[in-house]
Amino acid sequence: MRKLNIFTRGLIKDNAVFVLMIGLCPALATSSTVRDGVGMGLAATFVVVFSNLIISILRKKIPNEVRIPIFILVISTFVTIIDYTMQAFQPDLYRALGVFVPLIVVNCMILGRAEAFASKNPVLDSILDGLGTGLGFTLALAIMGVTREVLGNGTLLGFTVFGESFKNSPVIFMLMSPGAFLVIGVLKALINKYVKKEL
Amino acid sequence: MTSTRQMIITLFVVAVTCAVVLSFVYAFTEPRIAETQAQLTLSGLKEVITAHEYQEVVPDTLWLALDSSGNRIGVVFRVFPQGYAGPIPITVGLDTEGRITGIRVASAAEGLAETPGLGAKITQPSFTGQFKDRTAGEIGLEQDGGVIQAITAATISSRAVTAGVKKGIEMYGECLAPVCDPGLVFPEADRFIEVIKDTLWRAVSGSDTLGMVFVGIVQGYLDDISFMVGYSADKGITGVTILYSQETEGIGELIRKKEFLEEFKTGRPDAISGATVSSEALINGVFSGIERFRGHAE
Repeated sequence: MRKLNIFTRGLIKDNAVFVLMIGLCPALATSSTVRDGVGMGLAATFVVVFSNLIISILRKKIPNEVRIPIFILVISTFVTIIDYTMQAFQPDLYRALGVFVPLIVVNCMILGRAEAFASKNPVLDSILDGLGTGLGFTLALAIMGVTREVLGNGTLLGFTVFGESFKNSPVIFMLMSPGAFLVIGVLKALINKYVKKEL
Repeated sequence: MTSTRQMIITLFVVAVTCAVVLSFVYAFTEPRIAETQAQLTLSGLKEVITAHEYQEVVPDTLWLALDSSGNRIGVVFRVFPQGYAGPIPITVGLDTEGRITGIRVASAAEGLAETPGLGAKITQPSFTGQFKDRTAGEIGLEQDGGVIQAITAATISSRAVTAGVKKGIEMYGECLAPVCDPGLVFPEADRFIEVIKDTLWRAVSGSDTLGMVFVGIVQGYLDDISFMVGYSADKGITGVTILYSQETEGIGELIRKKEFLEEFKTGRPDAISGATVSSEALINGVFSGIERFRGHAE
């Protein structure tokens, strides 16, 4: 039961985007379609899970004074791995996400989990924590991606929804940066009103 | 409190481990990345002109389209005209008669910054298809006297595409002729005997050698400048033309002006003010080329 709580904490209760409001820059910039949002979310999940794993393993060896440079080194190593791998195997997605892939390094959600959780907890818990946090981030980006892609482009994962006539003149505004702010604001308001009390 | 020494050692060990891990990842993915890149480029080229092979002349900018026996059937080039929100990457294919075989505008995922739903519609086949089989003279929006119908509410983006395509044809169209026809700079000759492949020809009329034509390349201000010169032992320079240059718009590119190139026929032209580096590079290139190949003109 405790393990499940560790996992769901990041997934829902302390959702990085909708509750803690961290990691917003990539969340706004890469959620114009479901594919980009989920791609970004999974890339960040990979990084947070593996950095949590390594940092948890090393947690007793890392001197307190140099822990932040070591966290950053570990995180940036995994970011570089995902960066190269995506370039090699998912070039279209890589080009769509652009500079936000290397910028995962400075996503405070990841450094935050390293500092607040992985450096103090055993390996399995750290992995679960990373998985929950990462998937919560992915879930948030997917929800934003669905909203923005359906309204802004008339498609869902590239397939037309609401028919051709809507697709030809969708709410383009939603694809642009102000649309991202509007969507996150409205979603946050809805979550505050209907969901948060029960958590 | 940890000792300074321990901090340094830990940090060092972690950094070295990370570096070693990354070098393995790099070694593993690097060939794959290069391959994916090459494939993406190739499929982009295939979309605008079908050819057996694409020979890259200027990296990422100009390719010769060759058929299976190596004959030139056209060229492909890329231009980046300034659109509404940023440069628009366009790939254009031209056949040997100077007709457009197809154009392709890069999508948002490939760096197009035009407004989604408005300017970004320039990527759609209904727009790009209008360029097929057209020549440089016809390219232009309908309201500008051309044949291309602009996208409603996206005139700036549409016009940028027509301007970029047109300028590209002017810049690269000359490369369509089988290695830029030496006749361009030596109109008096009947035929040309190739002395060095793609570089030096003897200009011949009947059985007399009138002069020579050579191709040279010099370092300009921004990029290389490639040019072709006709030279006759009696009459001096018979013509100079620029084959490739990509100098500063409106400054270095003035070396392409007819008036300037004509000056070579009457002697050594003065450098263009404001474009000294580009024009002097060209002038020096032309005259040192003549010195070098002079023997072939007699």
